[in-house]
Amino acid sequence: MTRKKKKMSAAETLLYVIVTLIVVICIYPFLNVLACSVSGKAAVLGGKVTFYPIDFQLDAYREIFKQQSVWLSMQVTCVVTLSGTMLGLALTIAAAYALSKEKLKGRKIISGFMLFTMYFGGGIIPTFIVVRGLGMYDTYAALVVPSAMSVFNFIVMRTFFRELPKELEEAALIDGAGDMKVLFQIALPLSVPIIATIGLFYAVGYWNDYFSSLIYIQSAEKFSLQLRLRQMLFANELNQASMAAEGMGTQAMSESLKMATVVFATLPIILVYPWLQKYFVKGVMLGSVKG
Amino acid sequence: MKKKRGALYYLKRDFWLYLCVLPVIVYYVVFKYLPMAGIVMAFQDYNIFKGVLGSKFVGLENFVKIWKSQQFWNSVRNTLVLNLATLAASFPLTIALALMLNELRAVKFKRVSQSLLYLPHFISWVVVAGIAQNMFNMSNGTVNKVLESIGGGPVPFLSNNGWWIFTYILCNIWKEIGWGTIIYLAALTGVDESLYEAAYLDGATRIQRIRYITLPMIKSVAVTMLILNVSSMMSIGLDAPLLLGNTKVMAISEVISTYVYRLGIEKAQYDLATAIGLFQSLVNIIILVIVDRIAKCMGEEGIL
Repeated sequence: MTRKKKKMSAAETLLYVIVTLIVVICIYPFLNVLACSVSGKAAVLGGKVTFYPIDFQLDAYREIFKQQSVWLSMQVTCVVTLSGTMLGLALTIAAAYALSKEKLKGRKIISGFMLFTMYFGGGIIPTFIVVRGLGMYDTYAALVVPSAMSVFNFIVMRTFFRELPKELEEAALIDGAGDMKVLFQIALPLSVPIIATIGLFYAVGYWNDYFSSLIYIQSAEKFSLQLRLRQMLFANELNQASMAAEGMGTQAMSESLKMATVVFATLPIILVYPWLQKYFVKGVMLGSVKG
Repeated sequence: MKKKRGALYYLKRDFWLYLCVLPVIVYYVVFKYLPMAGIVMAFQDYNIFKGVLGSKFVGLENFVKIWKSQQFWNSVRNTLVLNLATLAASFPLTIALALMLNELRAVKFKRVSQSLLYLPHFISWVVVAGIAQNMFNMSNGTVNKVLESIGGGPVPFLSNNGWWIFTYILCNIWKEIGWGTIIYLAALTGVDESLYEAAYLDGATRIQRIRYITLPMIKSVAVTMLILNVSSMMSIGLDAPLLLGNTKVMAISEVISTYVYRLGIEKAQYDLATAIGLFQSLVNIIILVIVDRIAKCMGEEGIL
């Protein structure tokens, strides 16, 4: 008996070691980027930086604060993320609440109408032409509205509303409350976790979006942060030969600058993540229940 | 006796609810169904100035053009290769990781590991590509420096076709493996603890318990995930190939979505790009129906 127990714990230890290793591999790239962004030029260029800074300095961050374009893009992305998340949540909550009511006639047809778009769509080009035809080309609206709602989030929300206890609602209805009063006074206060989850999904989607910006935006001052970042990363690859000619210093500086911008573009997500992550696992589980 | 009532009665009774749905319907009509109508471009010699209504219909000419295009078939091949390779690597690894996480008994350790493993899912592809460039760079990437120090030559992770596929898969797995485990772990939270206890009392080893209790529990989820993945074989996200790709590996990194983007947005050949998109959607639906049938024949639930 004791022998068996010992053997089990050896396997157990191995399991913990393996999982720890996987987690370390998973977060190592983050640490590497962070370390590179605050390391000296020579160390970065020599590829010596691993997960701790060498020749600690904050030049790259000082440089970012001077970059007008990065700040501009940051503002664009903040505005787009905030308004997009609000719009997405409003549309999703309204539709999911109404279509979770069994008394509503035609709800199956309307749901089907939405679900169909998960399997079939017009594709990039027809969507592009519609957006341009609406006069949204090169406006913030093109970054917000076309991707305002996701069917997946709608299904999650509807499933949640369906599972709310019916007794509360019935009691309110007997007291003479209308559907809207029930939504605002009963359903919404009970749905804070799921709203946080879906809000996170929408916000991350908008924050990380560069493609809408790439195809719909022409003026450089309206570029989103991710598109700006892509340009910075990509421009370096294009001009590597000329960079080398200018001397190593420039290249190393821009390498740290690149990594500092990466940190800058990722930080907000990493900051809100711990607060919301306890909610979203449940959200994903709800979504996996067949629509 | 139930009285039959007209539509107007229900519209009046549930006026506010219908009002809630209205903006969403408008959204779907404008941004999803109107573009679907735009698919007619695939059958036209589309002229930007004449628009969809004024352009001339040419039947299947665009499809014939695509059919004969070497670039198109290259992009189809690349899409299938990258999707299959990613699926072959990530599908078993995700299940393995889920099983390992499920075996962890230390609650706090488990929670922290999960949080950290989910994190990459929320990172944008632009950032992932930036990190990949920094780490896998030929001249000063960290990974190549480490390889050099142990006597290996620099590996062209981003500039050689074969290695690029490897890097592509690696980045995909890094980003999504943790997130992918959620659905399996969700299926496993439903397992009755007493099953494990009974097995333990009967002297079943850990491996036996996994083999006979845990695996059967996630089998249907695994099949569903497999159906979903296989049925989207022809579609590939634009982000990863576009951002990780570069001119040196164009022969392998040009997939259908990036090809449509280049053809449609950069070269403004709307009709051809739309035709490719339509072809892709149709193939996807056909595969979905076939795979679903096969799954149902094998006694699984399917998804349709």
